[in-house]
Amino acid sequence: MGKTLAEKMLATHTEKGKASAGEIVDASIDLLMVHEVLGSRIIPILKEMGVKKIWDPTKVLVVNDHWAPASDTQSAEIHIRNRQFVKEQGITHFCDVNCGICHQVLPEMGLVKPGDLVIGSDSHSTTYGAFNAFSTGLAATDSALILATGKCWFRVPESMKIRIKGQLPEMVMSKDLILKIVSDLGVNGANYRSIEFHGPTVESMSVASRMTMCNMTVEAGAKCGLMMANDAVKEWVTTRNPSAQWTPVAPDKDAHYVADIDIDLDAEPLDPIVALPHSPANGKPVSEVEGLHVDQAFIGSCTNGRLEDLEIAARILKGRKVHQDVRLIITPASQETYVDALRAGYIDTFLSAGAVFTNSTCGACIGGHLGVLGPGEICISSTNRNFRGRMGHPDSKVYLASPATVAATAVKGVITDPRRLI
Amino acid sequence: MMSTSLKPVRGRAWLFGDNVDTDQIIQGRYLTLLDYSEMAKHAFEIPRPEFSRNVRKNDIVVAGNNFGGGSSREEAPRVLSQLGVGCVLAQSFARLFYRNAINIGLPVLMIPNVTHSVNDGMTLDVNIIKSAVIIKETGETLSGQPLSRMVLDILQAGGAVAWFRKVKESRK
Repeated sequence: MGKTLAEKMLATHTEKGKASAGEIVDASIDLLMVHEVLGSRIIPILKEMGVKKIWDPTKVLVVNDHWAPASDTQSAEIHIRNRQFVKEQGITHFCDVNCGICHQVLPEMGLVKPGDLVIGSDSHSTTYGAFNAFSTGLAATDSALILATGKCWFRVPESMKIRIKGQLPEMVMSKDLILKIVSDLGVNGANYRSIEFHGPTVESMSVASRMTMCNMTVEAGAKCGLMMANDAVKEWVTTRNPSAQWTPVAPDKDAHYVADIDIDLDAEPLDPIVALPHSPANGKPVSEVEGLHVDQAFIGSCTNGRLEDLEIAARILKGRKVHQDVRLIITPASQETYVDALRAGYIDTFLSAGAVFTNSTCGACIGGHLGVLGPGEICISSTNRNFRGRMGHPDSKVYLASPATVAATAVKGVITDPRRLI
Repeated sequence: MMSTSLKPVRGRAWLFGDNVDTDQIIQGRYLTLLDYSEMAKHAFEIPRPEFSRNVRKNDIVVAGNNFGGGSSREEAPRVLSQLGVGCVLAQSFARLFYRNAINIGLPVLMIPNVTHSVNDGMTLDVNIIKSAVIIKETGETLSGQPLSRMVLDILQAGGAVAWFRKVKESRK
């Protein structure tokens, strides 16, 4: 029987070189990413375990991003612990509060390449599947065990195949596509599974658009969201890590999939999708919610805070004003994105339109800082989760959408199809 | 030989619905609290604000499908264990919550149709090893797929850290 991407990628990290769906394997990790959870939870666990030296300080990335710069004395203390740990352990890869969001800075630093096994202490670590790598999120205890041993056990996931062909219409983004897929699958439709994306649409997508899709596979419960390496990914990895050796991974033709889904965007053109409160799987065509008043519009996060997201927002906001009853907050995914947006003139456009442009942080997406919602407030957001209370007060509501839909909504003050503002 | 950590659990049921996500268990804004006893005061604050005040040792969380979806935060099972919750029974779990609960030594059992048979406040006797539940009020018995050997080993050790130390000791 042939092997899926997940089986092949995990197999190369086991001692025996084998991995089949359903089996439990011990695998060696190529890179572990940890953020504030290092200081708050992992360091105390390492102490309890009696671990003095971590397994390999060159294979760990530490990022201070969730509350960056520190939003209160507690997050400040966590950042202090992280900085001390990085020094004590001689960790090579460290991003302090001036870098950006972990899932963006890790690929920017060239720390993921095809075939890798990357683990992050964050559920959106599925993002790196866009780079033809096996990546998933685990939490504090597993991260501590990896820091101690460099290894971790995994149940090799069953895989489902989603083949996508056709063009995304103007102003319709990969975010709309993944919101539709998550809504079709349901919040646990891919629980424990690997989602493999195939087809010409994914093959021709930009790195940023691919990252958005793999990022949100976890919202359907998936363990990972994997893609083949396309030209954009190959160029990215070659530019960012020129000395690295790697071989793209492809599934066997006779690999076994528990589900096969075909999406034809030419036969059934996709509309902009908005996920209604309080579930990312609650996606509806924008026409069903157009006209709904919002208090805040947010563009940012590991899902949609990249340059192409800011570019489309700038196109919509150019020469227009943010509606007087709405505050538009834009948070770039990284410092690099910030600088690129500055040079491209987008920030000028945003500020002229009356938006707030912040430093890079997870910030508003997790109800942390720089855009927390008050009681009864409604936010349209380019982020990944609209659980009750996710972005602030339990009585606030979050509608998930693409950066284009968020920008159009900010201009009109009510949820708006971005195609109306072309 | 069974460790004491896996003795049967008797406690009152706290009933929840489907898709209880990690923000309902513990909101993101409390994650910077370094003291778990402080954080635990906010467990289930949105769906059941009285939970942390009224929960008793060995009480049992009973839920529908996809319990614990969303964030990877280990704080979600950890605050429940901090409050003395004896185990979580659900029709299904999100993978991260399931793994995290076992890692911190909180037993989790998948029991089909559990929310159809159990009412809020009923007294349950749960045999973790057999994955069996007896409802005291009705006498009904429910059961699910038993936990795998590896999961039982981790739970018996008291969680993945204790398990790691035990395995390390045994190799010395």
